[in-house]
Amino acid sequence: MTTLTGGATEATLEVDDLLEATEWVALPAPHSSARHRLDWRELASTVAPPLIAVALALVAWEAWVQLRDVKEYLVPAPSAVARALGDDPSRFVRAGRVTFGHALGGLALGSGAAFILAVAMAHSRLLERAIYPLAILVKVTPVVAVAPLLIIWFGFGTAPKVLVAALITFFPMLVNAVTGLRSVDPAAHDFLRALDASRLQVLWKLRLPASLPYVLAALRISVPLSLIGAVVAEWMSGDDGVGQVILIAHGEFDTPVLFGSIVVLAVLGVTMTAVLAYIEGRVLHWHESSIGA
Amino acid sequence: MTSTSGMVSASTPAIEVFDVAHRYEADAGPVDALERTSMAVADGEFVSLVGPSGCGKTTLLRAVAGLLEPSAGHIEVLGARPREAKAQRRTGLVTQDPGLLPWRSVEGNVRLALELTGRHIDIDALLARVGIERFAAYYPRELSGGMRQRVALARALAHGPRLLLMDEPFGALDELSREQLRLELLRLWERERISVLFVTHSIREAVLLSDRVLVMSRAPGRIVADVAIDLPRPRAASMERLPAFLEHVDVIRSALGAPLAIGTAS
Repeated sequence: MTTLTGGATEATLEVDDLLEATEWVALPAPHSSARHRLDWRELASTVAPPLIAVALALVAWEAWVQLRDVKEYLVPAPSAVARALGDDPSRFVRAGRVTFGHALGGLALGSGAAFILAVAMAHSRLLERAIYPLAILVKVTPVVAVAPLLIIWFGFGTAPKVLVAALITFFPMLVNAVTGLRSVDPAAHDFLRALDASRLQVLWKLRLPASLPYVLAALRISVPLSLIGAVVAEWMSGDDGVGQVILIAHGEFDTPVLFGSIVVLAVLGVTMTAVLAYIEGRVLHWHESSIGA
Repeated sequence: MTSTSGMVSASTPAIEVFDVAHRYEADAGPVDALERTSMAVADGEFVSLVGPSGCGKTTLLRAVAGLLEPSAGHIEVLGARPREAKAQRRTGLVTQDPGLLPWRSVEGNVRLALELTGRHIDIDALLARVGIERFAAYYPRELSGGMRQRVALARALAHGPRLLLMDEPFGALDELSREQLRLELLRLWERERISVLFVTHSIREAVLLSDRVLVMSRAPGRIVADVAIDLPRPRAASMERLPAFLEHVDVIRSALGAPLAIGTAS
């Protein structure tokens, strides 16, 4: 049993950090006022430093490549990467869109299935004991090993990529959601029970909202994982997506295109994470993690 | 006893406990929490349960609330079994940890009781009854402990219960808030005369609020004294200096087996 819970702890570590008891603070005004007002100076002070840092790094990189005359197939200059992206932008946009679809589809399928299973497991210790070992098995098996099998079974096209992405995002959601659905305030639970609330009412009014911080933490782990899953499957089948672009560029020693693919994936990852952070801010305004944020 | 009829006459006792005992099955072996206990709370009566920590006060209250099935004995709540009384939503529960939902505003937390019971009331009027009408839009984390406990009280009263079960509701508060809430509860109760079973550690709190104080022994708990508090109503904080008040405090203290200490009792 220890090995099973060991796997569980790892995935919920971030959540525990996040839930570490912060002092409840008394605020002068109810949360609705002044919360969503945009502060331009604050925005500039958070956005400007990383932008400047990235710009400086790019300039230094460009200068290093130009001055030392580094071979392009080893390390291309940022200008060469930009040229590769600019030469055929539609190729990268198309590939990026396909990979985004695979990743998002896998994320939705994997997390969705895991969450539904978590709801069942949170209500039944027997089911939990039956399913956890299988879930651990899925978790510890490297997804790279499973991907070729899925391609044999499901052929080329969308299905195997979505499935690989789903497989890799399944476990974090399962573990976090079970923990979240179980982490109800006993006093609140007592109050609902004292009013004869049904299990469905307890689930809907108490367990689901209480699990949201855990679910969103799981998604934060899963977003980059879903991209990994999608790209790995695209590599293997080599028929579309950024994975295919990488595969071809690798064969041709076309390093600027390789870098271009990395840029596309980074943009996808950053965008998905930013959207998630925005959702988190809207949904979890009541949670400790958003105090002072 | 036609316990399923749902009709409750004014003279039906709020609570009747007959020979109830309870034993918890813990990992280290069974623990006797409650030893054959009998007691009653009349309709409209305010009864406090005092006793040392872990004496089974909470166990008894939870059994009355229908949250746990005692190992032995029989309980009637408003003429019905606790589970039936619970299903009929005749009781309200306030615990030491208010157990508010952090994602709901004050108004939303109170509305929870209405959503569960399918009733409709004027929430603003209810919030005014416990003095928190200005805080309807606040979230629990924005409130002090005392304010949160007022919300819990409003939530417990929302569906119009005949019996209020309060488990050390002010136990986690600082002394000043505690005193204030005590007096507010006193005023609320003297206006509305709803039956109350009130679990507390504080002897003075029990004497000030109650018609009767039941004293429980150390675990496994049983009731060792039943002290009628004959102080006139309406009561006020100033009564705590009356000789009659201090006498009651001393009677309860000696029943608890604590040394007498006039004036410093709490």
